Amino acid sequence: MANVILKNLIKRYGSVTAVDNLNIEIRDREFAVLVGPSGCGKTTALRMIAGLETVTSGDIYIGDTLVNDMAPKDRDIAMVFQNYALYPHMNVRDNLGFGLKMRKFSKTEIDRRVQEAADILGIHDLLERKPKELSGGQRQRVAVGRAIVRKPKVFLFDEPLSNLDAKLRVAMRAEISKLHRRLGATIVYVTHDQVEAMTMADRIFIMHNGTLQQSGMPLDVYNKPANRFVAGFIGSPAMNFIETRLVREKDTWFIASEGFKVRLPEAFYPRVEPYADRPVIFGVRPEDMEEHDPATGSDSGNTLTVQAEVVETLGFEVFVYLTCGPHALVARMEVPKHPLTVGQTLEVDLKMAQIHLFDRETSQTIV
Amino acid sequence: MVKTFKSIFFYTGAFALCVPPLFVFIWMILTGLKTGIQNISYPPEFLFTPTLENFRAVFQQYNFFRYLLNSLIIATLATAISLVLGLPAAYSIAKYRQNKIGIIILIARMTPFVSYLLPWYIIFRYLKLIDTYSALTITHLIITMPMVIWLMVSFFESMPSELEDAAMIDGCSRWQSFLLIVLPLVRNGIATAAIMSFIFSWNQFLFSLILSGPKTKTVPVAVYNFISYGKIDWAGIGAAATLIVLPVSIFAFFVRKSIVQGLTMGALKD
Ligand SMILES: Nc1ncnc2c1ncn2[C@@H]1O[C@H](COP(=O)(O)OP(=O)(O)O)[C@@H](O)[C@H]1O
Ligand SMILES: [Mg+2]
Repeated sequence: MANVILKNLIKRYGSVTAVDNLNIEIRDREFAVLVGPSGCGKTTALRMIAGLETVTSGDIYIGDTLVNDMAPKDRDIAMVFQNYALYPHMNVRDNLGFGLKMRKFSKTEIDRRVQEAADILGIHDLLERKPKELSGGQRQRVAVGRAIVRKPKVFLFDEPLSNLDAKLRVAMRAEISKLHRRLGATIVYVTHDQVEAMTMADRIFIMHNGTLQQSGMPLDVYNKPANRFVAGFIGSPAMNFIETRLVREKDTWFIASEGFKVRLPEAFYPRVEPYADRPVIFGVRPEDMEEHDPATGSDSGNTLTVQAEVVETLGFEVFVYLTCGPHALVARMEVPKHPLTVGQTLEVDLKMAQIHLFDRETSQTIV
Repeated sequence: MVKTFKSIFFYTGAFALCVPPLFVFIWMILTGLKTGIQNISYPPEFLFTPTLENFRAVFQQYNFFRYLLNSLIIATLATAISLVLGLPAAYSIAKYRQNKIGIIILIARMTPFVSYLLPWYIIFRYLKLIDTYSALTITHLIITMPMVIWLMVSFFESMPSELEDAAMIDGCSRWQSFLLIVLPLVRNGIATAAIMSFIFSWNQFLFSLILSGPKTKTVPVAVYNFISYGKIDWAGIGAAATLIVLPVSIFAFFVRKSIVQGLTMGALKD
């Protein structure tokens, strides 16, 4: 059984702290995705799990064994590198079999496993080729193949799809997910692409500046971001943020800014109370805005009057870039019944149950 | 238009660079094919009946075969030792960025060789190593080893480190990954380094002159002995020089592709 546990993991390069007190517990057979912007320490964390990088402090357990001082080859892991790292002087067959050969597997067993991997990945025709005779997508498959022939307990992927074109990336995403189910192994997958994280992960771990920001199932993280960073990082287009104040008028709470005022749902009152008259960051996802339908009748205090600046039609939906007073917003809406024109004034409703408020100082989520 | 201009430029340059050495080269061969009289006649004769007498004489009078063998043994030993010691050294300098060590090696190489002569002569005489293959091989290392190291550092530096990471995960020790993954990938560089190292040792004159003796005389020193107080045996020198240069030249001609690749490939990633 192979769970992977990182305890108070720290990695420093001189004065740079690449990984700062990381605590992560990846369960057996879980597809865990470490996601975060470039430079946040994902690769460093992964390389420490692999044993390619020593830890400055903290502990790493793989399958309940402390592996801090264990050589990479003894950790029963396989890694797929961003640039694939196929051995250029070996053909695909030898690339796949190399790890088994080093572990003194018999010739027949190596052949059998290479065949099996080639079957799974559909790379039979490539076995005699050298890596430089392969396309990017084919190299990618071979790199995955080299990992799976060894049948390790844990697979480590470092941005394996980032060098592929968009279409291939989508296809490989599905294929790696399928592979995970088929192999039943633990996968630690690193990416900067939140779409990959959302679509593939059982659980995602969001990192920023070397620290873990939040972990959880993709939808939970999407719906309940722990702080402003996570809120802005997950989702595309990104969440809109507006600097606002919390104001109370009689018994009703509003958030207000120049040209912008909406009424808060009563359910939020207990949590916003301490922030009275203080600045807070208001956040709303583009998909939580819709065109106001006058037929639904009365104003429920969630309608903004905005101006359309740019309209991008994607076919089934539109991205509308709006201004609301001095604030710029993006809305992601159904294709409107009457085509929008640039500069047009329109009314949009916010889905108030889905809005977010963040503490301006700590960036932590209030609601 | 620009293209023709460029190629005119290229061929003019190549011509200017190649003609002088080629002229000397041909002159040397002609000298070896003429008789002594023909060689000192003025104006020089260009139409003559070539003779192989000088080549025969070189082998009969001077035991030239022995000198060729000496050169071959020493150049091979110097090259082999330079590779065995220099490849791991270069790898270490490249991988762990030991630039200071790299600089020290470069300084050793750039120090005028004359300044080594006296101390080395004294040391080797004390060690009773004068006129041995050991002394000559060791001294040639001061030339061949830095060459191997400096050439190979850039090769090792241009190798993606992930390849070794992958090898370590696949079950290699550091040494195995060096031997099974790294070295095969820089084989062009190794070939270049070996060829250059061999040629430099083969051509080395100064150390061989001082430290060799009757038993270990190398070919460049042997040729030097054709110049005696009374006369200079031009025909003999021409024939001997041709014999020295020809094998190396033919060899270099056949491996030229690999040398060019080797000298330019360090810059290539991927
Ligand atoms: N070998 C190294 N030496 C010095 N700094 C490094 C080294 N590797 C990574 N770093 C630094 O550590 C931080 C995290 O890097 P990395 O883990 O590669 O980020 P990510 O994979 O999330 O893009 C970066 O600031 C990077 O500059
Ligand atoms: Mg990275």
